[in-house]
This record gives sequence, C-alpha cells and structure tokens, in this order.
Amino acid sequence: MTEERDLHPLEEKLLVYLDENGKSSDVEIVEKSNLPDEGSYRRAAEWLLSRELVREISRDEEEFVELAPLGIKNREAGATPELAMLREVERGARSLQEIQKNTAFDTGRWGSAFGSLIKNGHLKKDSDGIHLTCEPENTVFRKIWDLVYEPLAGGIELKIAQLPEDVVSLIYDRSPKRGKSRAEFSVNVLVTRMLNITEEGRIALRAAKENITIGAITPKVLAEGSWRSANFRRYQLDIPPSQIHTGRLHPYRQFLDTVRKRFIALGFTEMRGSLAENEFWNNDALFMPQFHPARDIHDVYYLSDGIKVPHPDRELTERVAEAHENGGNTGSRGWGYSFSRERSLQAILRSQGTALSARTLASNPAIPGKYFGIARCFRYDQVDSTHLPDFFQVEGIVLGEQINLRHLLGLLRLFAEEIAGASDYKFLPGYFPFTEPSVEMHIFHPVLGWVEGGGAGLFRPEVCLPLGIDVPVIAWGLGLDRMAMLAMGLEDIRDLITPDLSKLRRIMVQPDRLLLGKGD
Amino acid sequence: MPKIEVSRQDLFKLARMEDPGDEKLADILSLVKGEIDSSEGDWLKLELNDTNRPDLWSVEGVARALRCWNAGAERHLVELPEPDMEIFVDAGLENVRPFVAAFTACGWAPDQKELDALINVQEKLAASFGKNRKTAGAGFYRLDDIEFPVRYRAVSPDTSFVPLGFEREMTLSEILTGTETGRTYAHLLKGADLWPLLEDSGGNVLSFPPVLNSQTTGRVSAGDSRLFCEVTGTNWETVQLSATILACNLQDRGAEISPIRVNYPEPYPGKTVVTPVIFSDLMTASMESIHRVLGVDISPESARKALQRMDYASVEIDGTGGTGGTGITGILPPYRRDGIHAVDMIEDIIISIGLSSFDPLLPKQFTLGRCAPIEDLADAARILLAGAGCEEILRPVLTSREKVTDLTRTPKTPVSIANPMTAEYGVVRNTLLPGLLEVESTSAHAAYPHRIFETGEVLTAAEDGNCRTEILLACLVCGNKADFGDVHSIIGSLCHSRAIRLSLAETDDNRFIPGRCAAISINDRVSGVIGELHPAVLNNWGISRPASAFEIALSALKG
Repeated sequence: MTEERDLHPLEEKLLVYLDENGKSSDVEIVEKSNLPDEGSYRRAAEWLLSRELVREISRDEEEFVELAPLGIKNREAGATPELAMLREVERGARSLQEIQKNTAFDTGRWGSAFGSLIKNGHLKKDSDGIHLTCEPENTVFRKIWDLVYEPLAGGIELKIAQLPEDVVSLIYDRSPKRGKSRAEFSVNVLVTRMLNITEEGRIALRAAKENITIGAITPKVLAEGSWRSANFRRYQLDIPPSQIHTGRLHPYRQFLDTVRKRFIALGFTEMRGSLAENEFWNNDALFMPQFHPARDIHDVYYLSDGIKVPHPDRELTERVAEAHENGGNTGSRGWGYSFSRERSLQAILRSQGTALSARTLASNPAIPGKYFGIARCFRYDQVDSTHLPDFFQVEGIVLGEQINLRHLLGLLRLFAEEIAGASDYKFLPGYFPFTEPSVEMHIFHPVLGWVEGGGAGLFRPEVCLPLGIDVPVIAWGLGLDRMAMLAMGLEDIRDLITPDLSKLRRIMVQPDRLLLGKGD
Repeated sequence: MPKIEVSRQDLFKLARMEDPGDEKLADILSLVKGEIDSSEGDWLKLELNDTNRPDLWSVEGVARALRCWNAGAERHLVELPEPDMEIFVDAGLENVRPFVAAFTACGWAPDQKELDALINVQEKLAASFGKNRKTAGAGFYRLDDIEFPVRYRAVSPDTSFVPLGFEREMTLSEILTGTETGRTYAHLLKGADLWPLLEDSGGNVLSFPPVLNSQTTGRVSAGDSRLFCEVTGTNWETVQLSATILACNLQDRGAEISPIRVNYPEPYPGKTVVTPVIFSDLMTASMESIHRVLGVDISPESARKALQRMDYASVEIDGTGGTGGTGITGILPPYRRDGIHAVDMIEDIIISIGLSSFDPLLPKQFTLGRCAPIEDLADAARILLAGAGCEEILRPVLTSREKVTDLTRTPKTPVSIANPMTAEYGVVRNTLLPGLLEVESTSAHAAYPHRIFETGEVLTAAEDGNCRTEILLACLVCGNKADFGDVHSIIGSLCHSRAIRLSLAETDDNRFIPGRCAAISINDRVSGVIGELHPAVLNNWGISRPASAFEIALSALKG
C-alpha cells in the first residue's frame, strides 16, 4: 500500500538530499539538507524507513562518559572522597570519625568512600584503627582522577572505549540509570547512522516531481485551475484534533429544556410564576393549615419587613378562610381553627411548585386543560452535597369533567415512560395535605434501583372549590435536581450550579437520553 | 415524616401474621403509607408518611392496621365502665396548659421490652404530634400509689417536690433552671404566673407537666399491671386524641381501660369531660361520588368490606346518596380524626382495594401544548448567544449582600430574607452580574477567553414594597484582550437577529469604568446597561484579567 501514499513535503526534502548526495550520515543531513530541524529530519527518516524508500546502511553506537552531579562536586572539591581519604590515612588518621572532621565532603560521602576502599582492599581496619594496604598512587581511584576527571576538565570528549577495563567497570558502577542526582558519572550513547535512498525511493521521488501535489487549497489554486492536473496530498486522518471550547447551553438548562419539550409534546401549557409568593398562594389556597409543620419558620424563608406580594382577591380569601375554619361549602368540616388573614399576606420565597397550580386554578383555566410549570423553589436546608439553596420542581395539573383516579395513574405511567424513559414503575399510596387520594410513583433506575418519581393526587375539594373549580383536578409534582444529577452523572448536587468553568466544560450532556440517561 | 423503631417479633405477634420478609413487608406497608427505612435483626425502622395519622406511630398502631386488613374491623374502647375516678382542674391554667385527659389501664403487666415500647410511643406522640410536649405530653404512673380524686393544680413557682431521679425537694423554678429536662422545656411555661401540677388528694405530687414526674409516684416498672395515664397540653384536640390512641394501644395489649371524669372550672366551655374521648367521625359518600373518584364501578358491598378492613367503627349502606341513590356512611375508629371530607373515606377504599387493582387510563380530551411566551423568548436569545460562542451559566437565586452590594457595587439593594439560614444566602439576587463575576473569580485556570451568559429570574421590589420576578439576560467576556467592543458586538448581533434597534447613551455606573459605560436602549426604551467592568470591582472579586459585560431585561428583546 505504501506507493499509494504521496510524499509528505519533509519526506520529499530528505529524498532529494539523498538522491543528490548519496549515502550520508545523520549529522550531514541535519546540517546540509533543506529540512528545517533535527526533529523534522528524524520524523521524515522514520516514515521513509518504514516505507522502505530509504535504507540504513550502517549504525554506530559510541559511549561517552560525563560527570554527573556527584562527579561535578568532586571536581569542585579537587579530589574524589576515596582519594582524599587515602591521603588522610597516609597522613596518620586512624578513625573514620577523625576523617569526617574534614568538611570537604559530608559524613555520608566519607562513609561510602570508606566502604568502597575497604571493599577494594585498599584499607583495612583492626584494633589500632585504619591502615593503608596499598600505594595510593596505584589505585583505580588515582587512575580515574587522571584519566577521566582531568581530561573532562580540559573539555575533551571521552569515549568509554579508550579507557582501561578497571576504570570502565567503576564508571558503569557509578552511573546508575535511576537516581541520577546521586550518580558520579553518566554514560551517553551516541548513535550515528548512514542512510541512503533505495530504488523505490528514487521512483517515488521521480513520481512526486512529475506530479504537482497540492497541500493547502488556496484561492490561487482554485482560480488558476492547477488542481485539474495535480494530486492532492493525502492527510493523516487519525491524529487527535485540537480542542475548542464551543459556545453551549448549560447542561442542567438543557435537561430542563428537554423536560419542557416533552410536557409540551404531551399537550401541556406552560405556567410561569413568581419567586416570591405570599403564604396565601403558597399554602392557604392549597388547604395547608396554618399550623402545618411544613409552614414553620424553620422551613420557609420569610422576606424582610415591608416586602409585599400583591394581595389575593378579598372574596377569594374569605372562601379559603372558611374552607380552613369549617369547610365552608366544600362538604368538609375544615381544620377547625381560627384562620389568620394577616398570616396569609406574609411574603415568603416559594417553597413548592404547587403555588403555580393554585394561581392557575384561580385564574379561569381551560376545562379540559393541562398545565405544567418548572419552578425554582426554596427550602430551609443547610447547603451540602445533597441540598442546594434553591432547587427546580416540575409541577403539572390536569382538569376535566371525567377525570378520576385511573387517569391519575395513566398520566403517571405516561410521565414514567415518556418523560423519565422508565420501563418499570410502581404506585404507592402517599400523603400530601392538598390531595386526596394521594399517590407516590417510584420508578426503577437500572443502576440505583427504585427512585422517587414524583408525588401526585386529586386536589381536595377544599382546594378546588374555593378557587372556583368544580371539576376534578389531577396534580403532580417532582423535584428535578436529583434526576438531573443521575442524567449528568454527578455525585455532588452543587456541581449542577458550579461557578467553575473548567468543571462545567467537563460535564457531558445528552439531551436525547435525559432523566434515566446513566446506564440507560 | 415520623420514623419509629419496632421489634419485628412484637409487630408480627400483635399483627397475628407470619413475618413475610422485608420485600413483601414493603408492599404491605403501603396500607399505612409506610416504608422500611432500615432493617437490622429484630429491629425495623419504619418511616410513616401520613402526618395526620398519629395512631400509626407505634408498633401497636401499625400492627392493628395489618391485623384488621387481614381479619376485619375490631371494636375499640366500647362498653367501658362508668367513670368512678375524677380529676379536678384549677382555674388559672387557661393560658399555660389548660387541658388534661386521663384513664386507667389494668390487667396487662408489661415486661421490660414492652414497657420500653410504651415509653417510646409516649415520647414519639409528645415529640411529633404534641410539638415537643407543647400541645400534648403524656405520663404513666402506678395506679395504686394514687389517692383519687387527682387535682390538676395551678401553683406558684415556689411550690416544691422531689422530682424523678433526684434525692431532694426542689421548687418548680429550681427544676426549670437546675435540671436538663427543665431547661429543655422551660420555654413552654414562659410568662405564666401559675404553673401546672398534678397532685393526688393525699397531697402527693404526681408530676410537674410537661417537665418531670415525681420521685414518689412517677415511676413505672416492668411487671406493674395497674397503670394511671394522663395527657396534658395546650390543644384540646391533640390532648384528647393522644389519650385515646394510648388507651387503644393499651387495650390492644390486653389491658382493661377505665375512663376518668375531668371537671373543669369556669370559664372553660365544657364543664366535665369523660376521657378517653370516644371519637366517632362520620363521613358520607354517595356510590356515584365514589365511582367518580375511582373510575370503576364497585358494589356498595365491596365498598363496605373495603372500609371494614380499614377498621372503620361502622359502615352502613343507605340512601344518603343525595338524589335518592345509594350511599355509604362510615364512622372512623376512635383513634382517627383525619377524616374531614368524603374524599378521605374514598381514599381509604382505594388503599384497602390496592392501587394495583386500578387500570391506568389516559384522558381522552384534546388539549393544546404551549410554551410560555417569555420562555420562547429566552430560548431564542440563549441559542443566539451560544451561536455567538458564549457558554451558558446557571447560578443560585439566593446569594449574599456582600456579593451583590460590596463586591459588585450594584446600585440597587436586593430584597433580603428575614430568617436567613446563613448570610451567604441572605438575599434574593436582583442582578445576574455577581453570579457571572463569581464564575470569573473561580475560573482563572480555565482556557481563555471566557464568554459566559445567564438568563434567569431575579426579584426586584418597588418603592411601595411590592416585589416582582423578572427575567434578565447578562453576558460577560473576560480575557487578556477583552474590552467593550466584545460585549457590544454580542448585543449588537443579538439585536440585529431580532430586528430591534439598539442604541447606547453614556452613563455613570459605579460598576463600570467612567466613559466606557452606557445605558442600553432597545427600540428607544432603556432596558439595561453595558460597560467595561471597573478595575475596583475586578479587584474585589480577585479577577486578574479585564472583563466587559451587559445586562438587559429579557422582555426588551421582544421589541
């Protein structure tokens, strides 16, 4: 297949040089050819060798010795610790401690020098202390100083091959591949290759010269029509692309967009509401008694004094108050307490999406009608990996003359299948202050098992009648944050709203397989 | 949601059934709207979701529901003897802790485990239903230590007795300051001159409700088979229902319940009350209304059976259906007060029959699906901005005054929260810019340039205090060469795409550099602001590269 690929411009430059100059060494080619640098030469050579357009004629490997960090220190000290120690002993030193007082080397280096001198048999230790057992001038340590340290200091390149055997073996010992900072020497290998062009190389070069090969398509190429008789240089197509940061929608917003689209596809009209509500719309209109624990000051954010949300209609307030106190005309006996109209007006941050539904019911909705809303809600929780200061809830209502429990279950099934994409789900009796009967749906997640799929029910008559609705109303709600985390593969809920752009760029999202995206 | 811990052995013995194992039990518990929270050896932790059913917050209550569903309704607290014991209530407790209910339970000698369970129920009721002993709290005593009649007295804080667990007499005010329980519940008596005390006719103190029992009479041990039980509190209904539930539980255990007459002074409405009160809430529903909710035809007889399995005290099939049709009249058992409308009885029918018996159905009528116009507009803008290479951001609505006012120098003050949990989330944002600046301050390591935007809700308050939710659109560009022109081009192309007229008029705004800041007018209406962020603001946020931004009301893009 090699002949099918065209020559890369670097390949062509190398072939041209070899064709004109015959066999050449690496050094010659890098210095004299038109190749821009050594890296380009090496790449071109590798490519051409693999395509057999170039041949390696010879290959020489030569080893050179250089001083490593410890060696450099020795040179600065004017001696190796071994040589210095032999001198100290010659002058009469009898113990290592005594020698270690000399600060030319640290105690550790003195210690290891002592070790190697004992090992080589240059010193011995008896009850009197240390004694010389050699002529210092005849040791390998003297040789290495004269044959290696001195010539290197003079800037001479030192080939291993020129050195005597005992010196070489010491150099190898003291030039470990690892822990180079503790090495005395380093041994470098220089490879010199001779390359020449092959017959195939000449043919390929000739072909390349005869054909004009086009790299970048320029306006000039298009205008002159030179492409008609040219070849297009083939690209290497499998190299990784460079990264770009595209403009994109936020992953959680994409998730919410998908939820919205699916509700609209099911015939729901979107509701919008306010971040701030008064207690009337958030709770009273939903028949949650004013003493209900979820209405406690520790569960709801109150807005500061003087902040108001427009009052509800007076007649409406009275109807709701009656429903709470004694049931009014709803057929209920009510909660049996004294309803505070003042409490009703307290401005709070919306604590449940159902507030949207209450407002919709009170504003003459279509019957039959289907409504949904995605609302930011606020609960009194400490922010941590499972709680955010505000969270998204989706809320839906369905009104109709003939609506009953079976439709409630039917819609829940539709939500499980169409919105969550679940194939297994179950219904359990639930409890919500504003619905009766109440149902909780659990849906089966392939990784996590049963997860909450929302609470639902038929609004109580005490909710509907005071708001002017005399047909059954299905209500359904679900917190979306956890679902979004599942879909986005997040484990910390705070990542949904992260201010860290690089983290955000790493969050993947696939809007076509949301909700149960993970493990789907 | 209340959680209770029960012994499996005790539960299934009382329920008269075999232990079905956790998986089946989970299904059965839907009868009491319950879930298994955890299960370890003999201990089961159950979560009960119906906050209106305190009768279920005990092993006896859950067992009763399972037992009756299997074997039918039972009779509770019927044919009780005439009360021959009395409690007299002092005047002066009206504003502290006005109500008391009591009964005796004899003939059942609890072992230690059963006694522990009883104390657990008493505490759970006082904590969850009785709002931490405020509206109701109960106590048990050895009946034989008490000389009747008992007085529920209003006494001075100087009165003294030996409280349970102590060796010496203490005054009531000493108990409130000197004991841990006293300090926990002291607030319940705050502001009152006279405090409640239960005392027998021999002058022995039973307890200082709702704080501590006495050392002499206020102690019950395993094996005691003659008990006196009292409940005191601030809410009549909670006090009575707690007493009735405790009486039913003890009766289920095998005790004989004898009622007690409570005599109230003027100005209480009712003069005497025999407790435990036998509640008998009645609900009526026509078969037609039952069908309307269920969506299937069931016979009156099967409706009746369903309710009997829910332990209704009585279920009658009659002609109460309004237009002469058949109807059902049901009376709740005495331990339940959660039936306030016919729908509550209808739900009991549904639970008894089981949700899985109902075939799901889709509504047939056609309805139109429609997006809210402002969301359509938001989508259009978001897509244009993403096309312009901007990355969308999502930030919380709650933020801090420091971020909005001190760091960003936003001219308008945000609406603050009266009861914030932390100052970090103490205000509702009125601008999106602090959110975008916070992104910049934490993203210096992300490849530049940064072009970020957010569309989102903010809360603004008018002069008169009325507040309004508005959707804003803000965009910020930050990088070594970011300048006014970058954001100007973005809003320019946005307006061009929407075929609306953009004009800028130089303005002063502390957030931006003077002479590089303008009010944005769209179709000649002032709609926002654009500028190069002031180095002081960048410095406040610790941002080390120049940035420019604009913020407009999203609705302005409608033109």
